[in-house]
Amino acid sequence: MSLSPASGIGRFYKHSAKIIRFVRHGCANRPFYHIVVMERRKNQHQPVIEQVGSYDPMPNATNERLVALNTERIRYWLGKGAHMSDPAAELLGIAGLLPVHPRTYMNAWRNRKAAAEAAATEAVKSAETA
Amino acid sequence: MLIVRHLRKLNAPQRLQLNVDQTRRALSDANLQYDKDPQPLFTDAETQRLLQSMTQLQLEKVFRKRTVADNSTETKFMTTAQLEKEFLLTIEKAKKLLQMPPVVQIKPDTERVISKDPALKDFDDSKYVFTDISFGLRPSERKVVVRDVDGTLSYAPLETQKRMNQLYFPLDGRKSYTPRMFSDKELLQRCLDEHKYEFVLDRLTVQYEPYETEFHNISAKVFTHLNESKQFDLLRSTRHFGPMAFFYAWHRCIDDLLYDMIRRDYLYNAVQLIALSYKIHKVPVEYGQTLSQLEALQPTPAERALEELRSCLQKPSEKGIEKEIHAAIGKTEQDFTADELSLKFIEQYIGSEHALKKVQLELAVQTLKELNLEKLQLFKGLKKAHGVQAS
Repeated sequence: MSLSPASGIGRFYKHSAKIIRFVRHGCANRPFYHIVVMERRKNQHQPVIEQVGSYDPMPNATNERLVALNTERIRYWLGKGAHMSDPAAELLGIAGLLPVHPRTYMNAWRNRKAAAEAAATEAVKSAETA
Repeated sequence: MLIVRHLRKLNAPQRLQLNVDQTRRALSDANLQYDKDPQPLFTDAETQRLLQSMTQLQLEKVFRKRTVADNSTETKFMTTAQLEKEFLLTIEKAKKLLQMPPVVQIKPDTERVISKDPALKDFDDSKYVFTDISFGLRPSERKVVVRDVDGTLSYAPLETQKRMNQLYFPLDGRKSYTPRMFSDKELLQRCLDEHKYEFVLDRLTVQYEPYETEFHNISAKVFTHLNESKQFDLLRSTRHFGPMAFFYAWHRCIDDLLYDMIRRDYLYNAVQLIALSYKIHKVPVEYGQTLSQLEALQPTPAERALEELRSCLQKPSEKGIEKEIHAAIGKTEQDFTADELSLKFIEQYIGSEHALKKVQLELAVQTLKELNLEKLQLFKGLKKAHGVQAS
């Protein structure tokens, strides 16, 4: 996990499949992701072609998850036909850069359903105690 | 955040109402605000010229030692021609150091929603903040968007935008938290009581943007305190003198500053200050003519500073008797005529209903007149004694 410039040092073939994906940095129990462009076949810790953003999945003091996106380069690579990993596509969908990913809608629906069920059981419990 | 915004919205009209009441009164409350956009008046070429001239350009003060890491100086041997060139560069540098922070309106924090998607409600338990880190964008045009928990995608409020900019593109000297100096009232008060106005204003300029509410509140507080302690000379020849004079002129409380200027024999500046206040409040008094007459008689601050630099190149024998008399008394014949003109204009102001501290100002003018008369007599006597012909 050595430091390399954001412009990247990864070597790649001209016509190989590229992918925009997360690379897990951080440490045990503290994930932190770089959003990078690299050859699809490579392992995440191999040198990347270019870093195009970062994502901190742990909410900060003001309860926000911080994402930085180099939109100009992301659009460039998408235009070049780069693939997207699922988590990256979800994140870009939330950002409004791409259409919202179906899985995000699915999660939202499940969360709402779980919340409604929890509320219903809570109501039943309170009715019983009363 | 929403609650804060709502509160701000509720407070806004009340504050405005207060301002209208306060303008006529002398400064008493710290929360003086600009009731309409001051920017067009401030950036106006004539106003800028007046403010720059009032600021003056004292080279020792502009290039004084500061509390910075590197205060080193370089010593060089130069020919006279090289030195002349260096003088010009020095003046340019000084002008750059004296650039005023702009006086602009408070920017309203409006909510701009990009999309509302009820199907995304509860997609996650905390909101997402996306910052565009594309290369080569200015901080003001950098897009920061927020996806709220209820699925709304909107542009971030100014506070978040500033925080994200500072996080990804840190500005030298700006803190990501509010410095205690600004958050703790007692600490700020202590700074002001110790007359560290320039320090407070410098840090304020670094920490906040000119369109932020805090910038306006704190600078108003500093200027109000300064108006009470009357240490205006501390800010002279710094970049904050212009905004300060503009603030006083806008809020109709120039009298203390005017008194200070008269007492220090900066009559030209006093005239400019009065003219500025006339200009801001659209008082139907003709000041342009007096100003242009005075301008013809007196050099600009930059010219004066350059003259001062060049004078060290001349040998005493070259200077001539006229210069020597000037050095002894501190005034030339032109200065005396300029003083007469300015005094007439100032007295006219004191006589009008715009002056609040008439007695004090009249006394100052009287004292200055007596001093000037003495100086004039001395000047004439010296000229006669040296046999210089009256021009």
